Amino acid sequence: MRNERGAHRGAESGQSAQPPGSDEALQRCADEPIAVPGAIQPHGALLAVTEPDLAVVVASANAADVLGGTPASLADVLPAADLDRLRAGLAGDLAEVNPLRVTIGGAEIDLVVHRADGLLVTEWEPLAGAEQADAVWHSRLALVLQRLSASRTLEELTASLARDVRALTGFDRVMVYCFDPEWNGEVVAEDRRADLEPFLGLRYPASDIPAQARALYATNWLRLIPDATYRRVPLEPAANPVTGRPLDLSGAMLRSVSPVHLEYLGNMGVVASMSVSLIDRGRLWGLISCHSSSGPHRPSYADRVAAEFLGRTASLLLHTTVEAGEQGQVVAVAQRQAELVAALGRTPRRPAQALTEGTPTVLDLLPAAGAAVRLDGRLHLLGSTPPAERVPGLVAGLLARGRTATDVLGSVVPGAADVADTASGLLAVELGGGRGDFLAWFRPETLREVTWGGNPHTPKTVETEAGPRLSPRRSFAAWRETVRGTATPWREHEVEAAQALAAHLTESALQRAGEDNRLAAALQRTLLLEELPKVPGVALAARYRPSAADVVGGDWYDLVPLPSGRLAIVLGDVAGHGLAAASVTAQLRHALRAHLLRDRGPGAALQGLGEVIAALLPGELATAVVAELDPETGEVAVASAGHLPVLHATADGVRLLSEGRGPALGLLDEVHYAETRVRLAAPDRLLLYSDGLVERRDVPLPDRLDALCAAVAAGEEPEALLDEALAALDPADTDDVTLVALGRT
Amino acid sequence: MQFEVERTTVLGRPALSVRGELDLATAPRLAEAFASQLSQQPQSLVVDLTDTTFLDSSGARQLARIARSAADQGVALEVVCPRANRPVRLVVDLLELRAVVPIVESPSLMENEVGP
Repeated sequence: MRNERGAHRGAESGQSAQPPGSDEALQRCADEPIAVPGAIQPHGALLAVTEPDLAVVVASANAADVLGGTPASLADVLPAADLDRLRAGLAGDLAEVNPLRVTIGGAEIDLVVHRADGLLVTEWEPLAGAEQADAVWHSRLALVLQRLSASRTLEELTASLARDVRALTGFDRVMVYCFDPEWNGEVVAEDRRADLEPFLGLRYPASDIPAQARALYATNWLRLIPDATYRRVPLEPAANPVTGRPLDLSGAMLRSVSPVHLEYLGNMGVVASMSVSLIDRGRLWGLISCHSSSGPHRPSYADRVAAEFLGRTASLLLHTTVEAGEQGQVVAVAQRQAELVAALGRTPRRPAQALTEGTPTVLDLLPAAGAAVRLDGRLHLLGSTPPAERVPGLVAGLLARGRTATDVLGSVVPGAADVADTASGLLAVELGGGRGDFLAWFRPETLREVTWGGNPHTPKTVETEAGPRLSPRRSFAAWRETVRGTATPWREHEVEAAQALAAHLTESALQRAGEDNRLAAALQRTLLLEELPKVPGVALAARYRPSAADVVGGDWYDLVPLPSGRLAIVLGDVAGHGLAAASVTAQLRHALRAHLLRDRGPGAALQGLGEVIAALLPGELATAVVAELDPETGEVAVASAGHLPVLHATADGVRLLSEGRGPALGLLDEVHYAETRVRLAAPDRLLLYSDGLVERRDVPLPDRLDALCAAVAAGEEPEALLDEALAALDPADTDDVTLVALGRT
Repeated sequence: MQFEVERTTVLGRPALSVRGELDLATAPRLAEAFASQLSQQPQSLVVDLTDTTFLDSSGARQLARIARSAADQGVALEVVCPRANRPVRLVVDLLELRAVVPIVESPSLMENEVGP
């Protein structure tokens, strides 16, 4: 399909296998003077004249053939009336003059004029041999324009353009060709004779249309080659006497084109070719490219003007049509974002469900093949994603580099190349809360299916007698180059939508956490005793210190006078924090009370509690220790379900009760808990405590337990004992801390 | 030490080697790695705490959950926690994790691995 091409591969080529001499050839081609070829095509004649005397100073060698002689002045060839019309037109806008229909030697000729290099360039194109569109077409122009301007998308606009330009000009194939930012081109619309192979979707490398040709096309709207097998007609003299240089033909319709381009067309089997520029706000956006392979083809000047007019009209529409199309996508993303936010609002406590199970899901927010949601540390995957264990690392890797989105993950995050098939593109946004939660979207390696028109890596230099010369590719069969590891780029509004959704999630999670904390704190207060029961013969003290993180923990303690006269002392801890843990704590506390009141001993009560968890709270895990004291005798029975050992301070020293232990509650459905018995002498003290007292990251637990034993002594008042323990251990404020101390009075 | 759950094999069995501090913040990562291993439907699985430097109650409870779900799915789970790693072993012992999963000094040969 190509238009004038010269240089093929620039400095970016990186080819090491180029034949010697090819650099020189490339350079020669890039320098090829396409605007000043010194020759024209033979389907008309050219006379460059001075003004105002209209003396011919440059003439094409075929002037005599076309005009019946080589005139010294336009007065020699134009009838007087036509000469007057021309002179009148020269005073005004030359576009108003063109074309001047004249009859010379019985032949009708379109005379087209423009100014260049200080001369008036006149081009004489005989009507004979030109094709004329049906008059019907011109009468339908209004309809055609209406259809163009009614296009809502770029696809509609370009399809309509290809169809109408072909209907007008009668070429075998009309393509609309669009440049990417690197000047690679893609065929985005096509109208062709039914028997021709489709070129729609083919891509061509930037080198197919060199910069010099692009510069020319940005000012000259239409080029025509009616017969690519033509013999060039030289201009005489070769140098314009006014400038001393060859005449500038960049604005001439008869300009002879690069022989390289003609060879290119020949290789494609194209005999006639025409192209119209599409220019968006001053920049070459693309081309309407027309081909005929069945034979020479020359639309009339009038039809070419109409085609150019369609190109100019479409050019004006490009900007708004592209913008409207993009706007449509932006609106669609915003719409789905709103739907997701609404779904989150309907189920504020199950955000993961709202994002992954409803319609739309987070995957539908924007065009992507896969999505990942990590909420409260739990990962949910949708669509096509890397394996679950890879996802957090990929997201962390991207975010750690200060990036939100990439379309080449493999070259941004080390070790990510092997997931290119699902995650060449990654868009990730972090959710607040410091738990490493995130939202992420994945795009696969695009078979960006760069369907180049020919293999761009094939050297194109051939040897000729004159030395190395560039030759266009011989094969135009589509050649696919997959750009490995590259995904469709993320667009700005998509990134913004992801960030907005993440911000919403973070904010509502914070709000929810605030509500939860207030509720949990209220619940926790009901778990603590307003006042310790007065039990004759027993001295008691208890402390509960919530964590500084403003998160309610799962600690509880309880003192339950039993029917037998004994006193049950309980200290427990439910796994987790917040409202959920607090509500489980409340249930366990009451269930344990019920079992204690049956008065069958601490082991039986813990066993009963374990059965409650298995039946009603599967998956929950708790530890608890129960001590039952007979105030009369000082007998104490202790049973522990995975809890820290009870401290027993005696006159002889302090020890931890290592007996009477069983697994944490919730580990097994049915457990028999052993009990251990000690006798509490008058000065003896028992201390029950939660892990918040002794757990510290920087000191091993055994050392902390040793420190606790060293901090307390028999004989101390329970309140004082708790003060001593807290002062000595100085527990971290990241967890709640609960202690109960008792002794006999 | 940076927390890390490394997928390895021990005596031919899939294993998760837990390095660093296993606590409230890092326990979900062990859960993820475990879920991913479990999805491969292994016959047996080793969780190695030899290089675990700190274990809090949340981390221990995550181990307990893992033990339960391994038992539910019929996966022979073994937790390696040498007594020399005293701070970690004590927490494991306190919860009596051995009630649901074997706690061993070093990886043991499974019966079905002992050839004729």
